[in-house]
Amino acid sequence: MNCEKIAELLPDFLRGGLERERAEMVEQHLERCAECRDDVDVWQKLALLPAPEAVADSRARFDAVLQAYQAGRAQPEFPASTAGEKAPRRKVFDWLRTPAAALAWSMALLAIGFFAGNGMSRTTSHSEDLAVMRSELSSMRQLVVLSMLQQQSASERLQGVSYSQREAQLDPQVLAALLHTLRHDSNVDVRLAALDALSRHSGQPQVRRGVTDALQNQQSPLVQVALIDQLLEWRDPDLAQRLRDLQRMPDLNPVVRERAEWAINKIQ
Amino acid sequence: MNLVADEELMLQVRNGDSETLGVLFDRYHAPLFNFYARLMGDRGVSEDLVQEVFLRILRYRQSYQPGTPFRPWIYQIARNARMDHYRKNPRQVAFQAEMVPPVAPPDAAQQAQEANLLHRALLQLPEEKREILILARFQELKYGEIAGLLGCELNTVKTRIHRALQDLRKAFRMLEQGMPASGCGPAGPDISLRRAGQ
Repeated sequence: MNCEKIAELLPDFLRGGLERERAEMVEQHLERCAECRDDVDVWQKLALLPAPEAVADSRARFDAVLQAYQAGRAQPEFPASTAGEKAPRRKVFDWLRTPAAALAWSMALLAIGFFAGNGMSRTTSHSEDLAVMRSELSSMRQLVVLSMLQQQSASERLQGVSYSQREAQLDPQVLAALLHTLRHDSNVDVRLAALDALSRHSGQPQVRRGVTDALQNQQSPLVQVALIDQLLEWRDPDLAQRLRDLQRMPDLNPVVRERAEWAINKIQ
Repeated sequence: MNLVADEELMLQVRNGDSETLGVLFDRYHAPLFNFYARLMGDRGVSEDLVQEVFLRILRYRQSYQPGTPFRPWIYQIARNARMDHYRKNPRQVAFQAEMVPPVAPPDAAQQAQEANLLHRALLQLPEEKREILILARFQELKYGEIAGLLGCELNTVKTRIHRALQDLRKAFRMLEQGMPASGCGPAGPDISLRRAGQ
């Protein structure tokens, strides 16, 4: 047995994952081949590397985050009037709900099937065709994201947001839907996830503007703090002014007020 | 020992019991920290990233699907967090060799010397190769799970592990023979400059 054949078996051999007969074959080869034996030797030597020294207070830091998170979630979310206003808005999109989502999924599956079949049937596939197919597939996925963002269940909307992160570029409609989610979704986690997703598209002026505007209307302290951090990272030119406006709000959560103060100092 | 499965705990977190995430934190903090520190070499950044991973789990907990194996899932989040970190902070060229073993017991001088050379050899590999070796050797992931993480075939993973191991071996033997190693300082306590609490 030569080194090439051994190479296929070696990774499993290293972990003791080969059945006896093959393991013996590898061992016989190792007796004769110094290089392969040396590979095994170095693999075993890796055990000598000590674990990196951990950082102190790690758990305390996590506990603080967890507590802040729970406290943030316990805050009342929307005043009754806002909740009432939200209902009709959702209804507009009713038609987009389940049947459309199912349709989008099946279209996406179709596209994937076509894409795969296309690749298999023609051995010399043209890169241009592939590029077109990829871009079509990408719009399909974005369609799926759009419909998932309209779902009733928070976990499906959350999945829609994570799904959007698979695309390097997003259509303006999808970005607009994510911004809408950031401002109006009833669930804090979905709003936070939408902010995460949007932060990857800071090159789009529409995104920067939308995220900046979201600061004023946001009710959840958690999202407010995340927004402040994001805008600080972007070095938004108007941030100091906007933070001062925010601080003027009478019922502002003390944690948010403190964060705004901290951010203002950071800018200067 | 009768441990509750990670997946069971994660389902509890998903259903609103955030406190339970503390148990998962205790189980996964060290492996994740080691993963980042071995790969990126900066303990401060590694710790920040571990915290980020758990914050993301909190935020995305409802996207955890019952039946999803937890370990590959958390490593997927860990890899994404690292990529986002690189996007925000473009890679520094020089690798900080600060997680070199602090002080070895004197009777293990030979072993310490080997570990040090091996560590330096590992740092010479491109990050992709270093990552796959770390995932395969230290992180208790099945090859199939690594394939899922990296988005490639099982056989590709095995080939890549083997190639990375060959490169590591060559780099290690070169260093052993005293060949010049690029960008690596001498072994010793002076390498561990940045400590905890920076």
